[in-house]
Amino acid sequence: MILLPCPNCGPRDEGEFTYGGPQRQLPSLDGQSGTDDWLKALFHPQNPRGPMVELWYHASGCEAWIEVTRDTGTHEIIDVATNRLRDDKQ
Amino acid sequence: MTRLPKGGLINRDTRLDFTFNGRPMTGHPGDTLASALLANGQHLVARSIKYHRPRGILSNGLEEPCAMVTVTDQTGNTPNLKATEVMLRGGLHVTSQNNWPSVTHDAGSALQLGGRMLAAGFYYKTFKWPRDGWHKRYAGIIRRLAGHGQIDPSADNALYDKRHRHCDILVIGSGAAGLSAAQTAAHAGATTILIEQDHVLGGSLLFSRNQIAGELAADWANDAVEALQDLSNVTVMSRTLAFGQYDHGQILAVESMPADSNARAILWKIRARRILLASGATERPIVFPGNDRPGIMLGGAVRSYIRRFSVAPGTRAVVAVADPDEGEDTFAALKEAGIDVRAVLPPGAAITGTSGRLHLRSVGWRDPGGKRHRTACDLLCVSAGWMPNAHLFAQMETGLQFDGTTQSLLPPDTSGPLRPIGGARGILNTADCLTDGKAAAHQALAELEMHKHLNLPRPAATPAAPGFDSGTGKAFVDLQNDVTRDDVALAMREGYKDIELVKRYTTLGMGTDQGKTSWTNGVLEIATQSGRDPAEIGHTTYRPPYSPVTIGALIGTETGDEMVPIRHTPFHRAFERMGCVFQTSGDWLYARYFPRDDETMQDAVIRECNAVRNGLGCVDMSTLGKIDVQGPDALEFLSRLYCNNISTLKPGHVRYALMLREDGYVFDDGTVAQLGDDHFSVTATTANSAFVWRHMTKFAQVDWPELDVTLTDISDHWASLAIAGPHARDLLLALAPDFDCSRDGFPFARLREGFLGNDLPVRVVSVSFSGEPCFEINTPAGFAETLLERVTKHGAGWDITAYGLEALDMLRIEKGHLSIGTEIDGRRTADDLGLGAMVSQKKDFIGRTLLQRPALQASEREQLVGLTPEDGSSPIPHGAVLSDHPISGDGRACGCGHLTAAIHSPALGHPIALGFLTNGRVRTGDVLWAQSPVSGQSVRVRVGPVCAYDPKGERLHG
Repeated sequence: MILLPCPNCGPRDEGEFTYGGPQRQLPSLDGQSGTDDWLKALFHPQNPRGPMVELWYHASGCEAWIEVTRDTGTHEIIDVATNRLRDDKQ
Repeated sequence: MTRLPKGGLINRDTRLDFTFNGRPMTGHPGDTLASALLANGQHLVARSIKYHRPRGILSNGLEEPCAMVTVTDQTGNTPNLKATEVMLRGGLHVTSQNNWPSVTHDAGSALQLGGRMLAAGFYYKTFKWPRDGWHKRYAGIIRRLAGHGQIDPSADNALYDKRHRHCDILVIGSGAAGLSAAQTAAHAGATTILIEQDHVLGGSLLFSRNQIAGELAADWANDAVEALQDLSNVTVMSRTLAFGQYDHGQILAVESMPADSNARAILWKIRARRILLASGATERPIVFPGNDRPGIMLGGAVRSYIRRFSVAPGTRAVVAVADPDEGEDTFAALKEAGIDVRAVLPPGAAITGTSGRLHLRSVGWRDPGGKRHRTACDLLCVSAGWMPNAHLFAQMETGLQFDGTTQSLLPPDTSGPLRPIGGARGILNTADCLTDGKAAAHQALAELEMHKHLNLPRPAATPAAPGFDSGTGKAFVDLQNDVTRDDVALAMREGYKDIELVKRYTTLGMGTDQGKTSWTNGVLEIATQSGRDPAEIGHTTYRPPYSPVTIGALIGTETGDEMVPIRHTPFHRAFERMGCVFQTSGDWLYARYFPRDDETMQDAVIRECNAVRNGLGCVDMSTLGKIDVQGPDALEFLSRLYCNNISTLKPGHVRYALMLREDGYVFDDGTVAQLGDDHFSVTATTANSAFVWRHMTKFAQVDWPELDVTLTDISDHWASLAIAGPHARDLLLALAPDFDCSRDGFPFARLREGFLGNDLPVRVVSVSFSGEPCFEINTPAGFAETLLERVTKHGAGWDITAYGLEALDMLRIEKGHLSIGTEIDGRRTADDLGLGAMVSQKKDFIGRTLLQRPALQASEREQLVGLTPEDGSSPIPHGAVLSDHPISGDGRACGCGHLTAAIHSPALGHPIALGFLTNGRVRTGDVLWAQSPVSGQSVRVRVGPVCAYDPKGERLHG
């Protein structure tokens, strides 16, 4: 079980989270995006050995979706953010 | 009796009685089962797995390959326990394993006569014919003959638990290195946990004659442990085996509880910032012909039995210990116990054979000059050196590397959270272990910024002493699995040269000891036979558990009724008082039906259905997911999530809504109610409520952060009771609402907020799952019983009938309403379900794009239809397959669909069903076969509309 540093709650056990898969950039809902855009976003995520940004839902905690940059080879947690934090950084 | 008159860490004032194979024996608190057996003169403990050779006690710890027993206490039988690990308790019944009729006269030992024949892979090579012979004939016989103990089939009534601990520095093992590390960490103020697998702390210090700080090592250890226990930042745990290392500094350990505890074991999940692995080293046996007889013991084990347990494990001994200092120490220990030492083998000598049927009687050896000797003895102390116990390190890190100077697999330096120290990295000398523990703890403290970096030097691993020649003949490399040198040679000859293949072909290193005493010898044997460098051979993968862990501890309390949490709705207690029969539905314990007097379920359900159709019923709807959506962008947010048009909704209005997945399939259905300009409340189905909540929060937080919307899960805040039936509005009016509940003032698909009787806060929604006029009355959960009381009281005039899940399902099937998991099964488009018209063509929403894929728009898709028996009365079998043709003679039929629900409709008086049928809607009127190969029934059914009862909905609006 890995330890995820939740920006709201501090370091918490993986068991408190639900995995949300790799972070995906969904096509916009403006009627312009095509089938290929959606298929690419949903079914062809990058699957690198190395740093990957992924989503974790803190179900047994603050209920935030956090964006974790994790090295898939070593489980090293490189960065973590919630959307609100990301906005603040900008 | 071979108990020595004085000394040892046992309590001689208390006597513990136990039996071994029915023979009464005694021991003392502080004994292990092994030391107690030896104290009673019992060396022969078990028979070996394959050849049924007599086996005794080789070691004094969890590395023991031979002395496996079945232990019976008040909680039942536990097989395959190592006698060296079991703490002696009064009243134990211990039996030998793998022997018949008895451990002294074992018929199976005839197998060793054919030792050459029974080489590795023998069974699989020999019992190949006939083809099904293995399963049908041989396997049963062979498994009876070869194997370990028998599992107790009765339920385990012992208690277990799981708990968590956290610390800065976790020290595993309490020998010289562990104690020194724990002292250093504790004195620097780090929160420290010291765990020890044994019930006494001290490790090998307990039987050492070394002096530490002017004290005997065992006394120093005792003082050090007592001093640590007094510190508030230190937790000391004995009887706790750390068996696995996991990511980010997590160690799993199992604590075996003492006899007077009400629990048997506790699983500890320990999270530490740094872990110092001081698990010591395991002594390596010598491989020589006849090296498995009872009476042959590891040198360290002999010293331990004499000094710690005060037992003389023999009367005449031969010493074959490679390390000269340890050889001397072993000699000294034997003298302390008054044992006659007949010979001490010099380096370079070879043991050529042993004799003795059930116990060692003599050892044949050759000195380095080539002269042959035969020495009569009943104890042979062997040691080829030591193997670091770095298993926990190797489970996570890169692996171990064979080192020529120490002749062992050593952990390389890494930067992970776990650091082997002392014996676990090959340091065998007490003083060096103390230094290493302190240096490693300082390194960890510096990394945690809890102490300035001292950069203390770490001592080097202790080089191996020259060993003994190994002679020729049948010699066991792995005692637990009866793997001989010849088996390893056979594997090499047959091409199984990789270490992983040798392991699987010969079973070397498998079993309950996982090759703790055999592994390095195996590597060296492969190296010798193949002429390769042992460093090239490597090792197999180390996996948890380090030593066997009782399954009960891994399960903890999560068994039986405690397996998963059970949720109760706010009406649960009231329903219990009403005699409700409950049913598990997902997490919930949901009302199934409400029998009156001695009614059967069928009678009760029909009565409940009739009440809803003809009078008045009430049903608990609290399990529905309810999500409050607020904010300036709430409407836009919902409009993107639901496939139907939401934008025309007005405050006070409610709409049935369908949510699609990103891939275009139907995800969930529910209602959207508008409470104010920027305020909505939506429902999700019971089964999907958690998923819908997660789905919505993800879009709000991650994908569309630009939308100003706030979601609140209000599912548990509201109790919800639906009143349904022709008198529903009468009852609502009788409940004295403070809002207009007339037919015009409160029509279908509206939401009203207010009070009933001026004091009961409610949100009432006019929606219907049953097809009858219906009002879903929501009240804050704490008011649930008040609401139910009033509904029951005021509804008595119309004989209000509480109904449950069974009737709810019957009523919705009559109306063709959808249910999650049956109709909405994750493979259906809105059009498949007959809801194609709901999909908006005017806006973009989640699922729109991928819904346009050709396969989802194809004309040959299965569509939901209603079905009735052609003869009007034959029951339609559940789960039937729909087919155009009857089942042919060979029992096959080509299906064109299947049923999702089949009932006998109380309202219509005949069977009806729902099902998916290829191109179903254009086949209205066709007659098909509904066939159930399970029940063997075939019924002719006619395709009709999905909604069988009141298809125009006149009852609802009338």
